[in-house]
Amino acid sequence: MPKVFVYLMILLAVAVGSCKSGGQVKDAGVEIPDSVLNEGVEISEEVMQDIVQNISSPVEMAAMIKDLGVPFSNRYISPTDRVGNLTTSFQQSLNLGIYAGDLGYLNMYNKTSAVIDYLTAIKTLSDAIKVGQFFDFSTLKRLATNSKNLDSLMYISVHSFNQMDKYLHSNNRTNLSALMVTGVWIEGLYLGTQVYKTTPNKELADRIGEQKLTLEQLMLILEKYQKDKQYTRLLEELQLLKELFKSVNIYIKKGDPQMIEVNGELTFIGGDISIVEMTPEVLTSIITTTEQVRNRLISL
Amino acid sequence: MKRFIIIFAVFTFAGSAFIKSQDVSQLTAQCAANAGDVMYLKDFVVKLDQGTPGGAPPTARFALLLSKNVVYRFSICSAPNSDGEAVLQLFDMNTLLGSTFITATGKDYPFFDFKCQKTGVYHVFISFKEGKAGEGVGIMSYVKKL
Repeated sequence: MPKVFVYLMILLAVAVGSCKSGGQVKDAGVEIPDSVLNEGVEISEEVMQDIVQNISSPVEMAAMIKDLGVPFSNRYISPTDRVGNLTTSFQQSLNLGIYAGDLGYLNMYNKTSAVIDYLTAIKTLSDAIKVGQFFDFSTLKRLATNSKNLDSLMYISVHSFNQMDKYLHSNNRTNLSALMVTGVWIEGLYLGTQVYKTTPNKELADRIGEQKLTLEQLMLILEKYQKDKQYTRLLEELQLLKELFKSVNIYIKKGDPQMIEVNGELTFIGGDISIVEMTPEVLTSIITTTEQVRNRLISL
Repeated sequence: MKRFIIIFAVFTFAGSAFIKSQDVSQLTAQCAANAGDVMYLKDFVVKLDQGTPGGAPPTARFALLLSKNVVYRFSICSAPNSDGEAVLQLFDMNTLLGSTFITATGKDYPFFDFKCQKTGVYHVFISFKEGKAGEGVGIMSYVKKL
């Protein structure tokens, strides 16, 4: 029986709602309408950058899908033969994010033979928007030739993406960073929804529903650039999803956090629990619309 | 083995980078490797000046979107030349959820795991003990799905 300590935690949040980004959120029995949460919100450049750099990961959705025991399928990833047609920095940044999401999925399943095509696509696009210096193609290509290098391949792939994102922020090119993150996000949602079609389960449905929170953050960021017609078009596409996500309700069940120490290692358990509610019809609409939006975005 | 692979790869990878970023890359890679058999997601590179006497210690803040039913690992490493010892804390709004330094016991931990039960925005705070100047890196990793 391991030695277990439960420590007192700071409980200041009793009076503070902790899920402000939830569109229609019920917190301790109080329902907060979408309009109160989002309209008229202005966020500073500092806060915006803070949000953008952490909003989506190229590997998290893929990791969850793999953990669910769902087999790999190359039907879920975007073909790389269209890279040559991507000529504007808008297209290049958005698709760089999409391919980064695909690379995460391929790496997760150790599909090293297909990885080279995606590395090549990412290299081409990252050079085009002048962040290619953070993407060591030759090392990644060498690692991809041996399936035993998966840990390193995963680490360097994700780290390279993070470095590109940081560089864009530090060089006042947050508009391109926002596109990369949008690409990662839509590809992750596309992956999750496509998998759900063949392997439906509650956990994946919840993860899809929770994307309401991410989409709200993402749209706040992109709205800053909406004077540009390309961004307006992108926002119009995302608005289609936002309308559907309005029917997703996310509830917060309050609880106390805990701390446990086992064999000298600490584990903290968050007290609050989020609960997603959405009808099967809404989920089906989200799945269908995600496919349509994603396929239009890769041809923008 | 994992540690060897990552360190080998980063030494190779960093070959074309500038010296300063090479140091950061190496520290990040070492810290990621020290996190164990988990999957790297994000790093938080921090360089802070010394705090003013009597004032709050300078702190770097990073926003994160965490997902329900995922175990995340948060690791912290101070740079070899750092004056101060880095501490990483995880907050949900103003509720402290986790820390690599437990004030009550005075113990430091290289990392902690966080079992997330609520999808939402959280914040990582990194500071240096006693408000000293310092350099360090925090790492967020994916451990497993609950």
